[in-house]
Amino acid sequence: MKILMKSVDMICVSNKDGKISPIKYKFVGKDEQIHIVKINRILERNEERLAGNRMYIYKVMSIINNSQRVYEMKYELATCKWYIYKM
Amino acid sequence: MKKYIFHIDANSAYLSWQAVYDLQHGNAIDLRNISAAIGGDKSKRKGIILAKSLKAKQAGVKTGQPLFEALKVCPELTIVSPNYQLYMKCSDEMTAIIQTFSKKVERFSVDECFMELSCENPIVIAYQIKEYIHKTLGFTVNIGISTNKLLAKMGSELEKPDKIHTMFKEEIMEKMWPLPVNELFMVGRATYKKLTKYGINTIGQLANSDIDFLNQIMKSHGRLIWHYANGLDSSPVKKDNRKIKGIGNSTTTPFDVDDIRYASLFILSLTEMVAIRLRANNMMCHVVHVSYHRASKGGGQGRQRKLITPTDQTNTIYQTALELFKEIWDEGPVRHFGVRVTMLNTANIYQRSIFDEKNLEKKRRLNQNIDLLRVKYGSQTIKRASFIASGINNVNGGVHDNYPMMTSLL
Repeated sequence: MKILMKSVDMICVSNKDGKISPIKYKFVGKDEQIHIVKINRILERNEERLAGNRMYIYKVMSIINNSQRVYEMKYELATCKWYIYKM
Repeated sequence: MKKYIFHIDANSAYLSWQAVYDLQHGNAIDLRNISAAIGGDKSKRKGIILAKSLKAKQAGVKTGQPLFEALKVCPELTIVSPNYQLYMKCSDEMTAIIQTFSKKVERFSVDECFMELSCENPIVIAYQIKEYIHKTLGFTVNIGISTNKLLAKMGSELEKPDKIHTMFKEEIMEKMWPLPVNELFMVGRATYKKLTKYGINTIGQLANSDIDFLNQIMKSHGRLIWHYANGLDSSPVKKDNRKIKGIGNSTTTPFDVDDIRYASLFILSLTEMVAIRLRANNMMCHVVHVSYHRASKGGGQGRQRKLITPTDQTNTIYQTALELFKEIWDEGPVRHFGVRVTMLNTANIYQRSIFDEKNLEKKRRLNQNIDLLRVKYGSQTIKRASFIASGINNVNGGVHDNYPMMTSLL
């Protein structure tokens, strides 16, 4: 997997326990077209506090270009930003 | 169980914090592995080096060096502007982790903590702290272990990075005494010069010299460093060490200043900032200190003066600072100015004097209202006429609020 750290527009769900789960996101690809990707499954959830900056890391599964891909996404709590981290 | 003091010190703090943050945000280059430094603004040729990587250190870059000088010795140096909010966050998190090991933790500066703990095996605990910080926060620390704060601090300074050292009383002859005397806490440039003049080059030589002789040449400071050289210190680990001891601001000028008009404007603009911060803390100062660094020859000078009565007035501080500057300035080009006030007291009760300027209360109210305007609408809202068309900011210098700088008191 390669580190991308590309920011995306995300729709996510925050449940009544405060657990945040990504649902689907939109980003501008290399072809300058808008792509919408659905998160089919969340495989792992982790938290990191590197440099005191809290981020949630999600290992997720989606269908991209008709193939099933497993990759990582990050959510930065201080800025409320979502990123495609590794793909 | 025996009581131990730990000194935990982040390795090249600003740089490694910035490096970890950048890596977390997908940066492919680790600042710690290239010639990199934190400090100032490269485009404005302004500021000084605050922290540097090991490679930059090997190339001859020094902390405190002006940017243009650092770029001369190391042209490939990557310079990153400081992000004080990030550093405060790192510092808070580091302290929070240390506090999970002991309730008695003193934050000594932004990147250093003292911790007191009674335990059987301090080395095991130190390894746990070091690994936990590395795993959670991503940066390395040095830990010094001893029975007092001074020795713990000296221990953590030994070999870097990512190391644990003990410095017990019985080890000082072997570990601390062979070190050059300027490695000792509280031995700065001026003291070092004095000591070498008398043939004292190592900490061991200082420890074995006559305390009365040191008292004669350096008064109480001489006695203090003699005690430190012998590993004697009884200061307790203070839980809350956030009391402000002094307020100061300094700035590197964008051009060489060789004219008293510009020099006085820089001093005034720094005084404005210092006085605003002083009043915001509802305090008054009793001592004014001014310093400058030469542009070409290097080095600089500083001088301080105690006022008759404490003050929080911009004008009084400025006049004293300017007087002091005129006394020490050799009229050569200057590149860096600093104004600092110390001996702070509350502004609620203060001593008046028959020498006070007229309408003091009225002037205090005026200053308070100017501060309110500046806070609400920005520092440029109201300025002194002398700054018009000078190209110099009317308020200069600045650092993140609540930022704990290192103190010289253990």
